[in-house]
Amino acid sequence: MASHGVARPATTILRSAEELQAEQAEIREYQDLENRIQANIAARNYTVEVLELTSKLLKKNPEYYTIWNVRRRLLIYGLFSKSSDSSSPSKGSQSTSPIVTTQTSSIPSSASALGTLKALDATQLDPESPNHGKNGTILDIIRADLEFLFPIMIKYPKCYWLWNYRLWLLQQANERLDPGITRGLWEREMILVGKMLVKDSRNFHGWGYRRKVVSELESEKLHGRSMVEPEFEYTTKMIHGQNGLSNFSAWHRRSKLIPRLLEERNADDATRRHFLKDEFDLVISAMYTDSYPYAQSAWFYYQFLMTTLTEYIGHATITPNFTQVGRIEYVGCQLSILKEMLDGAEDCKWIYDALVEYTMTLARMEERELCEGEREDCKLWLVELSKLDVLRTGRWDDLGLIFSKSP
Amino acid sequence: MSLASGPGVAGSLSLPEELQLAIEPHVKYIQSLDSRRDELEYWLTEHLRLNGLYWGLTALHLLGRPDALPRDQTIQFVLSCQHENGGFGAAPGHDAHLLYTCSAIQILAMIDAFDVLDEKGKGEGGGREGVGKYISSLQNQTTGTFAGDEWGEEDTRFIYTALNALSLLSMLDIVNVDRAVEYIISCENFDGGYGVSPAAESHSGQIFACLGALSIANRMDTVNVDKLGRWLSERQVEAGGLNGRPEKQEDVCYSWWVASSLTMIHKLHWIDGKKLTNFILKCQDPKEGGFADRPGDMVDVFHTCFGVAGLALLEFPGLEEIDAR
Ligand SMILES: [Zn+2]
Repeated sequence: MASHGVARPATTILRSAEELQAEQAEIREYQDLENRIQANIAARNYTVEVLELTSKLLKKNPEYYTIWNVRRRLLIYGLFSKSSDSSSPSKGSQSTSPIVTTQTSSIPSSASALGTLKALDATQLDPESPNHGKNGTILDIIRADLEFLFPIMIKYPKCYWLWNYRLWLLQQANERLDPGITRGLWEREMILVGKMLVKDSRNFHGWGYRRKVVSELESEKLHGRSMVEPEFEYTTKMIHGQNGLSNFSAWHRRSKLIPRLLEERNADDATRRHFLKDEFDLVISAMYTDSYPYAQSAWFYYQFLMTTLTEYIGHATITPNFTQVGRIEYVGCQLSILKEMLDGAEDCKWIYDALVEYTMTLARMEERELCEGEREDCKLWLVELSKLDVLRTGRWDDLGLIFSKSP
Repeated sequence: MSLASGPGVAGSLSLPEELQLAIEPHVKYIQSLDSRRDELEYWLTEHLRLNGLYWGLTALHLLGRPDALPRDQTIQFVLSCQHENGGFGAAPGHDAHLLYTCSAIQILAMIDAFDVLDEKGKGEGGGREGVGKYISSLQNQTTGTFAGDEWGEEDTRFIYTALNALSLLSMLDIVNVDRAVEYIISCENFDGGYGVSPAAESHSGQIFACLGALSIANRMDTVNVDKLGRWLSERQVEAGGLNGRPEKQEDVCYSWWVASSLTMIHKLHWIDGKKLTNFILKCQDPKEGGFADRPGDMVDVFHTCFGVAGLALLEFPGLEEIDAR
């Protein structure tokens, strides 16, 4: 929000009179721009010229959400309706667009005045398409606006309003253009969001946007089909990329894709069992190979995999047809693996944490109290946890209470 | 109130002094925010003016100086941000949005000024009702979630801001609280946390919002306390500060989102309060006032509010008690 990670020198820098004057001039220029936009909007001048004024202001300050709204109104009430009179705005009735009562704006001669538009992809703009003539100009406007946004997004990748506005723009395309053309726009968004996530692989705006783009591309209205396979592939790629093992965003996305993936593969029980084993292998090898061996992302993914076995009711499952005996056996196996992992990693608190948790879980699944040996093990593991992880002493102490009570 | 950052720099003094809370400089810093109109940053942050006022005022209340900003001017400014539809914008001339509407109601509640709202407020029916109707108009009747404004963006933060404002207005009954709760539950992840929408990664800010909403709705029984407590407690890093998601950098604002979330599930003792206190104190500028996200960065009123609130939650001496629900 305000200022994140903005370092400042230890001593205040005194600025010269020229610098101070320059700042005043900049303020005046900014305010003048603001005033001109407001005056034009008050006069309902929904023109390309005013749109360009908003572009200028938004490049200076993309957080100015009201100006993004001004831009939306300029498009809906001005440029869209003027550029293509055969495109029915009533198609947009499902949207929450406000209703305008008067329109007295001057008609922009052509949206091509927006300039900056790069050559259109020929395959997406088939000149034979009956919709081309009708939709061409709206498409031009939307494409130009998407182009305009890109460099600002690169510069301000965490600005909520930018991502929202971009999504809104594409929804306008959904409502106003031929699905074949709109699909091309959404496909380009996959490239954009891919680039954004290369720049910052944890940007949660980026991941959220990716989910939305995918769901659009999968939708019936855009003649889409499932993208679960390539998306799952994408998370694999991200996890194997630089710092990928600690990319919890990628692990998280993976956890959400798996149930659908297996469903769509029509996976039988054996395949599913094999899949679960592969996922455990992947995450355990991640724990071993990570340059920072005790990073938590992999351990949270491990928790997800275990949850599919231990809390299979109402949660994501990988192996729905496992019997309770099968699940119990599996959890028992994992406990053995965890114990083996301790060898050479006696300082890894995550292993102790998991051992305590799944020892308790196993007893619960078997509907029994902890046996004496388990109780003693847990107490010892908690002693290690208290030593290794003093920040969370309160949690280890709370857990300790469970084992100090007599059965 | 400006949200402009600076001029202070956090952590510029030697250690012993850092461990004190510089109350007077913080008060002066907040008071000075509106007198920085000669800085470009002041104008570039106008879209946060009303939130800035709320953050500044909250910090002042916690610092035991609730009267440090003039009450009449505060009320006047808040009401000048209201639109005919009952919603509030960030500043006069800025569009109405749920985030600012909630800030406006929080401010008016803090300084006990609902009577002025009733007298002069806009919106259908005027007064509290006008604001309530604006908020309820933003609920998605199918899913129960809320949009931020007329353009339809949805985010679990907006459920919290809507329910929080309506609860302060004693008007919760005009929206479908049960459906909103169902929506929040659909955003829960295997780690016990919540994201911005169903299937979104757990994020401390969203967790705070979802717990806040569940708490107002009296539905904390739906929370998986052990899992969420584990995930939240793992937000504390070696330096003592808290991060917002696994393997991200620590930041003072998360002191609040995470610590108040832990408080709401009665697990604040699952992190090291003393180390967190020291981290927050290192993020203040003891001379010029204000807090930054991390030691050595520029201060701003957002981090000042959440730094002070975090300290208050940790029962730092000299601060007013805080009710984290
Ligand atoms: Zn922050």
